[in-house]
Amino acid sequence: MTTESVHALFVDDSGVVSLTQLTELSGLSEAELRELVDCGALAPADAAAPRWEFSTHCIVVARTARRLREDFALEDVHSLAIALRLLQRIAELEQQLAALRART
Amino acid sequence: MKFKDYYAILGVDRNASEDDIKKAYRKLARKFHPDVSKEPNAEEKFKEVAEANETLKDPEKRKAYDELGRHATGEEFRPPPDWQHAFGGGQFSFDDLDLADLFAGLRPGGRGRGTGGAMAGRNYEAQVQITFDQAFHGTEITLDLSAIEFDDAGHARRVPRKVTVRIPKGVADGQVLRVPGKGGKGASGGPAGDLFLDIRVQAHPLFQADGQDLYIELPLAPWEAVLGASVELPTPAGQVSLTVPAGTRAGQKLRLAGRGLARQGAAAGHLYAVVQIVVPRVVDERERALYRQLAEQSTFNPRAHFEREARR
Repeated sequence: MTTESVHALFVDDSGVVSLTQLTELSGLSEAELRELVDCGALAPADAAAPRWEFSTHCIVVARTARRLREDFALEDVHSLAIALRLLQRIAELEQQLAALRART
Repeated sequence: MKFKDYYAILGVDRNASEDDIKKAYRKLARKFHPDVSKEPNAEEKFKEVAEANETLKDPEKRKAYDELGRHATGEEFRPPPDWQHAFGGGQFSFDDLDLADLFAGLRPGGRGRGTGGAMAGRNYEAQVQITFDQAFHGTEITLDLSAIEFDDAGHARRVPRKVTVRIPKGVADGQVLRVPGKGGKGASGGPAGDLFLDIRVQAHPLFQADGQDLYIELPLAPWEAVLGASVELPTPAGQVSLTVPAGTRAGQKLRLAGRGLARQGAAAGHLYAVVQIVVPRVVDERERALYRQLAEQSTFNPRAHFEREARR
């Protein structure tokens, strides 16, 4: 068996992906992604642009949404957006806690 | 292959309705999901429950599962002979598979994979633990991505696959990395999926990270803080000599610019040495005499602001 060697890339705000790419990378449908944008859980770089582009960080958000939808068998996108927002809030608080712990 | 009783895992009857299964699954997901659960072995339990639900929620898969008959959990069993045909046409051994693999290959509409149009491969996810030093300098990890793959005729086989992934330097705990094209193989000419790595960085005994910035506690003796000193300070890139200015106070942060986590093509974070003033637990007679002498001579009043407040 040969071992391939590859480079891992950062998934942060340094790049952009199209709506189609985001569908492929997250496993959510285009309609679900549009609903998440409507709920404010995801934001394209320019919502008025004819073709939406998202920062690569949105891949992480959209994948978390897909995982939540599957793991908790959530059916409506509104509840999904709320669960997503609460998880993000927890992540932000954990980050602040880590920062405070680091500084003291 | 070892049998698992999916109905028992979800705590439902064999004749439970789809709705009963969904309700039971949701309840268990809320109880054991690693994001919300404080139960011991939550992750393991959740995986078990999710695997059971994955098969039972889909009527086709559930029917196929029911055809396997009743066995005790953990009992060795062999799927019926026609399954062998559906899964590999005789050139394939069920010993390579577990029960979840068997049902992962089923799609609504029948056994084995369909031979429809081009389909993108699945995205894979893996959690990767690395040390603080590996995160700082970058590292290489080898992942075993052996997987069950289905050829265009719907035959399953376990494909051995090892991938060495270069993790770039400067990665922080909780960050997600993407390895394009290293997920599951696409079907009928479809593109391969991607591999996503959820990075966990082990805590370091001295350095704490906040994004790209690093913090280290710098204990100083009272006289070092008062008089200033030159101290040896560990940094992730090696020891440096740090000049502590005279009159340094506890809690002050001394900044070592650019000595935090650094990514290719981005400005490096900083390293902050956070001053602590520590006192010796035990002092000998001579030291005690010197402290007494200092106490008598000093005009310093550390609580002057208490008095100012009291006079208001």
